[in-house]
Amino acid sequence: MVAPMTPYERAIAAIQNEPVDELASSPLALALCRRLMPEKVTYKEWATNPELCAESFAKGVEHWKFPYTVTLIDLSITASTLGAHVRMDTENTPFVDDHIIHDMEDYDKIVCPDITKGRTGDLIDMNRRLAPMIKGKSFNIAFLEGPLLTLTQAGGAERVFMDMFSDPAPVHKALGETTKLCLETCEKIAETGAEGFCWDYLWGNYACLGDPEYAEFEGDKYAKACNDKVRELGMGLGIHNCADLPHLDTQVKKFGVDMYSMAYYPLIPGSPTAAEVIEQGYGDKCLMMGNIDPQLFVRGSVEQITKVTADLCQEVKTALCKKGLNSRYCISSGCEVPPDLETKLENVDAVMAAVSQYGKM
Amino acid sequence: MSEEIFEELANAVINCKADLSKAAAQKALDAGVNPVEAINEGLVKGMNVIGDKYAAHQIYLPQVLVAAHAMYAGLDLLLPAIPKEDLADAKKAATCVVEGDVHDIGKNIVKTMLTAGGYIVNDLGKDVPPATIADTVKNEGIDILCMSTLMTPTMDNMKNTIDLLKEQGTRGNCTVTIGGPPTSPSFAEEIGADHRDNNAQDCVNWLKGQ
Repeated sequence: MVAPMTPYERAIAAIQNEPVDELASSPLALALCRRLMPEKVTYKEWATNPELCAESFAKGVEHWKFPYTVTLIDLSITASTLGAHVRMDTENTPFVDDHIIHDMEDYDKIVCPDITKGRTGDLIDMNRRLAPMIKGKSFNIAFLEGPLLTLTQAGGAERVFMDMFSDPAPVHKALGETTKLCLETCEKIAETGAEGFCWDYLWGNYACLGDPEYAEFEGDKYAKACNDKVRELGMGLGIHNCADLPHLDTQVKKFGVDMYSMAYYPLIPGSPTAAEVIEQGYGDKCLMMGNIDPQLFVRGSVEQITKVTADLCQEVKTALCKKGLNSRYCISSGCEVPPDLETKLENVDAVMAAVSQYGKM
Repeated sequence: MSEEIFEELANAVINCKADLSKAAAQKALDAGVNPVEAINEGLVKGMNVIGDKYAAHQIYLPQVLVAAHAMYAGLDLLLPAIPKEDLADAKKAATCVVEGDVHDIGKNIVKTMLTAGGYIVNDLGKDVPPATIADTVKNEGIDILCMSTLMTPTMDNMKNTIDLLKEQGTRGNCTVTIGGPPTSPSFAEEIGADHRDNNAQDCVNWLKGQ
């Protein structure tokens, strides 16, 4: 029996596979935190105002006592800095609506811009504001799109995928530049006091790319540079990949990460459950994070989500015990808790309460 | 002669060669091959090989997209050559990403597999308002509507579209399928769609079984 821990102590212990008082629990309630602010904050305001964004994340830590805070805003930050146009609806996740690649010559025009400007500048600013607010309370994990996701977001995924097959050289040149952008942004964010850094390597999944393609267009060179940079800067290395059928062997075992956030798709054959990822040895390597269905936060009742969480806690505890692990699993949401106005805040409360009750170790 | 051309068309798709697909389609037309046969016995057979290999994780998204491009290169020549009366029995499908979202790779794969499945597809594109979708279903007599979204806040536009179909009296004539990571069979049921699937190939198989 472990003495009660603070969320921060639990966060550190779980990464290191030390004994914990209860399972760590951090649903990816990100833009949802804006709804904890005393005055109404729209999604657009949250995504574009670093001060409001940082304060919202801090409110989330204060209210929900998350052991980990992942500072994902949306997946168009780096694409925007590269010059892609991002549509900002009042209450919708921002997304790229005008790509920058229209012909093969456009790959050559991609150069790493001044990352202290634009949306990457805002992201750095937000992290700078947030770090002191949550220091010692929540393990602060910065978040950024990886090199390939940056390129597909900026250039259009379909276009880039076709060019990867038909004419890969210009794609590689552009990936060199997006990698530079990622590395420079990572360096600046490290200066803000972030303790961990999470890359989104979404395309490392077997619905999109096989092992050789993923190795060629991200894993072997570009992701390696990003992962090495995080290590060099002394931060914990995380990966988020909410796609179905992620490349777990590459991204967990080969990359040697500290934290891995993934989703579970019960309707997709081969999608591994929480117990399976632990049984298959991924929890031996790092803290695995997942996998409550994000839609349950919108459409489920408190009773339903409490039951799902309780069942997941039991599944995880049993699997950890069988593998002789102390703590290497964090109850999370697999993907961002939908930031919609309809998402029920009480369902996040319910998950945190259920883990405290059923996740005791 | 025809068999040879069919093989050329199929191989052009399988080998992801748009220029060869176009050349073989022109050859078919020059040789007086029935364009419907050229499509079904050539391009579609090739695309089905690609679809099967993709489903079996033997090839991946880049190859599928380039193969689809090759198929469309041939279709662009063959489709206009089909006499209108030959298309009278073909089912009409519409594909779209609903308003508020622009992520369309999944939708484009569905469009490709529907085309390979013999449907006449009207692709409405991305960020499409419910009224546009409902009007298209009504005005063009669409038999099958496939809607997708990646983003949770836009899911309600699937329901809004179905509600409009009901209002306009076309829901009963049109099979509605939905897709995209945030959707689920229970959501499909909740909004009154007929089906939700994980992938394009399975969706087309389901439609063919109806």
